[in-house]
Amino acid sequence: MSLQESGVDSPAGIDRRRFLGLAAAGLSAVALAACSGPATSATSSSKTPGQVDLSGVKPAGKITWWSNNPGSSQAVSQQIIDAFHRSQSAIRVELVTAGASYEDIAQKFQAAQAGGSLPDLVVFSDVWWFRYYMLDSIIPLDSLISAVGIDTSDYRDQLLADYQYAGATWAIPWARSTPLFYWNKAHWAAAGLPDRAPKTWDEFAEWAPRLNAANHGIQHAFQLPALAGYAGWSFQNNLWGWGGGWSAKDSFDITCDSPRSVAALQFLQDAVYKGKWSGVASKDSTNDLSAGAVSATIGSTGSLVGILKVAKFEVGAGFLPGGPEATSPVCPTGGAGVGIPKKIPRENQLAAATFIKFLTSPENTLLFAQATGYMPVRKSAKTASLVAKAPQSQVAIDQLAVTRAQDWARVFLPGGDQEMAGACANILTQRGDVGGQMNALKKTLETIYTTQVKPHL
Amino acid sequence: MPRLNLGATLAGDYLPLILATLVVVLPLAYMVLSSFKSPADVITQKLVVFPSPLRAANYADAARTVPFPRLFLNSAVVTSIGAGIKVLLAILTAYALVFVRFPGRRYVFWAILATMMVPAQVSLVPNYVFISQLGGQDTFWGIILPGLGTGFGTFLLRQSFLTLPVSVLEAAEIDGARHWRRLWRIVVPMSAPSIATVALVNIVFEWNDYLWPLVIVSKPDMMTLPVGLTLLSNSENSAASYGVVMAGTVMVLLPVLLVFTALQRHIVTGLTQGGVKA
Amino acid sequence: MFLAFAAPNVALIVIFTYRPLILNIYYSTLNWTLGAPTAQAVGLRNYVTFFTSSEARQVLTTTAVFTVATVGLSMGLGLLVALGLNRKVPGAGFAQATVFSPFVLSGVGVGLAWQYLFDPTVGALGAILRQVGLSSPQWFNNPSLSLVMVILVYVWKNLGYAAVIYLAGLQSVSRDVLEAAAIDGANRRRTLISITLPLLSPTTFFLMVTSILNSLQAFDLIRVMTPLGRGTTTLIYDAYLQAFGGYNQAGYSATISTVLFAILVILTLIQLVLLERRVHYL
Repeated sequence: MSLQESGVDSPAGIDRRRFLGLAAAGLSAVALAACSGPATSATSSSKTPGQVDLSGVKPAGKITWWSNNPGSSQAVSQQIIDAFHRSQSAIRVELVTAGASYEDIAQKFQAAQAGGSLPDLVVFSDVWWFRYYMLDSIIPLDSLISAVGIDTSDYRDQLLADYQYAGATWAIPWARSTPLFYWNKAHWAAAGLPDRAPKTWDEFAEWAPRLNAANHGIQHAFQLPALAGYAGWSFQNNLWGWGGGWSAKDSFDITCDSPRSVAALQFLQDAVYKGKWSGVASKDSTNDLSAGAVSATIGSTGSLVGILKVAKFEVGAGFLPGGPEATSPVCPTGGAGVGIPKKIPRENQLAAATFIKFLTSPENTLLFAQATGYMPVRKSAKTASLVAKAPQSQVAIDQLAVTRAQDWARVFLPGGDQEMAGACANILTQRGDVGGQMNALKKTLETIYTTQVKPHL
Repeated sequence: MPRLNLGATLAGDYLPLILATLVVVLPLAYMVLSSFKSPADVITQKLVVFPSPLRAANYADAARTVPFPRLFLNSAVVTSIGAGIKVLLAILTAYALVFVRFPGRRYVFWAILATMMVPAQVSLVPNYVFISQLGGQDTFWGIILPGLGTGFGTFLLRQSFLTLPVSVLEAAEIDGARHWRRLWRIVVPMSAPSIATVALVNIVFEWNDYLWPLVIVSKPDMMTLPVGLTLLSNSENSAASYGVVMAGTVMVLLPVLLVFTALQRHIVTGLTQGGVKA
Repeated sequence: MFLAFAAPNVALIVIFTYRPLILNIYYSTLNWTLGAPTAQAVGLRNYVTFFTSSEARQVLTTTAVFTVATVGLSMGLGLLVALGLNRKVPGAGFAQATVFSPFVLSGVGVGLAWQYLFDPTVGALGAILRQVGLSSPQWFNNPSLSLVMVILVYVWKNLGYAAVIYLAGLQSVSRDVLEAAAIDGANRRRTLISITLPLLSPTTFFLMVTSILNSLQAFDLIRVMTPLGRGTTTLIYDAYLQAFGGYNQAGYSATISTVLFAILVILTLIQLVLLERRVHYL
């Protein structure tokens, strides 16, 4: 497209002048002008991932890395960068805090496509990278991986597989997590419960009244995590346990309104409104746990270090509970990887890949895991020291073996995660009808698929 | 001065004053105190007003996460240039509208006045696309330019210029003073209070402006203070972040409060002008 | 000469205020991802989508509730505060400045500070309520309460503006008139209702116009306190979310902006008619 080459981002581009001339002629003229312009088209070109040609390319001397510092990781990231600078002198890395959340980063990154200064390395969560792939804003990393000698076989297979699509690798796992079941051991002891996480949600439903009775001053036995960041992610655990899902395994067939999916969410709604043993977090459910307001919650492994730092009681961490249909695997992976933008010089792409290799080396992924609670992404990372410091980390590492790939409806549909969070909020904070909400959600997700995903596949 | 009955004065006159003051001061005081809290004092169901121990670590953390000195500089540059040009444009336009005869002058005035009814947010996407095409992302001019056209200042100064005694200006005209000279020698000095008002209002507006800098800047070292401030609340691990966020907030709000305290008479009287002239 | 003086400002206004209004109409006919080089022309589909979804009703209701509540509360409470502050005693000036001060503070900072106060688990309001045996309302989970929360903070921040302008209005009400009323035996309340308030009506009108406009532009507090906008998505916030939130739907965002603009045109026309009649600015 000529517009793309000239760096013009607007679909208006050339035909804006014509449009202005026609504006007075009415909306039909507008439609005409829009149709005849080079920038508006009914179809978009099909994509076959073109690997970066690196022949004769030397790494750039300075690159920037956009991060939202998940898990308060700014200090450890800088520490790794400093070590990188000591290990070589050709490439300087600047860590840039470009947002407070994955969404902030995504927003900035998307905005920068339209003519801003792009980073050379960018952090993106599980729900964002596919959108960048569709919009052609990131590159497949395979040629870079072999150029800088990243040993992909040493990365944990499930984590790497999350970023593979159309025969190419689009990101490298970095701050990867699973949800964990966290509990307050003091509350558990007071209620006379066994010192472990519940095996199933039904078991916890039996425990909950005992927790409520034995611990005065708590708001709820359980706190559902804040729906905005978690519902689409961690409720996959409930959906899978009940034999449902946001969408069928490895497909865009939306199944959030199936009887099993509805039953899974009905269980959660009943926990809030009928059994009254669960609340819904406003901000961060692990804060509510640390403050002693609730006895248990679900949180990311990336919150582990933060909880241990603040909580004044012994914290338990366990596998996610199973459901009546399935008890394993019922745990999704999550967190963020790092990828490389397309519209930057090849020199910078090469330098970024060089740094990725260092950033996710067995030693550094371990260092990162110790500082945050995120999982070491390398098989050869020596986790003994990690576990010695926080025994709960072992649970996260063990649980990785029983994870399941996330539903496509969540990770591949732009805005799908937000829609799920919205529907769950209606169900869990407004007592909305579960079946009706899921029907509506299905329609919305299907619209997103047909308008925003299908044309790009 | 008549003697006042002290008791009645305290009850009748001071109670409303004290109440109104407390409603404003208490939340701000709590914010300042909370900026010294340790994570343990933040993450608790109890009401902790006076943190113990007092710790300044939140300020260090905030400054480490976000380059505050740089953000101060950015905000200062954007505010001084943006507000400065806006005042200048308002003076020139208001002068033209009041003192220069021109066919259709009334329509120009209406066209300018009407912009006061159009929030800048309505033009968000087109301006974003336009400025991006010109390469204005992450630049000072990209932040400043789209907001420069001024309806408010022009309007306020026009009202002020209209009240100037015509005789003085006519005398100047007979003396052969040209427009440029008349503007700077007579009109501007005589309308200084109104101009100061326009300047102050614009300074406050530019300093606090959030939406446009938020979308047009992606590089942190070009962010203004309000945009940078939101970087502090880390999404996935906010165990300690309230304390750090409060520290950052104090750093952003305190300078404004200090300047306001120093200039409050001018700001308050200035802002009320438009209201009571009606 | 006129051109030389007025042209720069007029040009800027044309380029950055009027031109976007027209371009919005064009963009609103596109299915266009922000930052993407290409877009599809979809005619009026965006408008159909907006008005046939439940979104339109929700967003328009939220906008109306937010605007009416913030304007009504800040003007009503502002008048009360102004009456309370309208005393010639030492310290009145200080109180006046204090009440006004939140108005000049950054909305982002104010939103962050109040967000902490409102937090149901670790916030001060919840802690105080728990001490008297209540539990904290779910300010962030319940969309209606989120709207209430944002309205309260907005009023806290903007109340001082209304108060100070009313105060100036009160102080310009002639003492002679009030003394005459007192001699005629009117009590304080009667004086207020039948003399002071009517004399304040130009001030009230001015405040109404400026407050409605300010309220329609409210963005900082909403974005900082309720980033997802559940229950607090006004038209302006929706336009922002659609283009720069998770969706990047620039065409759809332009559609919402155009709807907002149409509403503003209607409001402005109403206000101008009233303005001509009531206030003699022009």
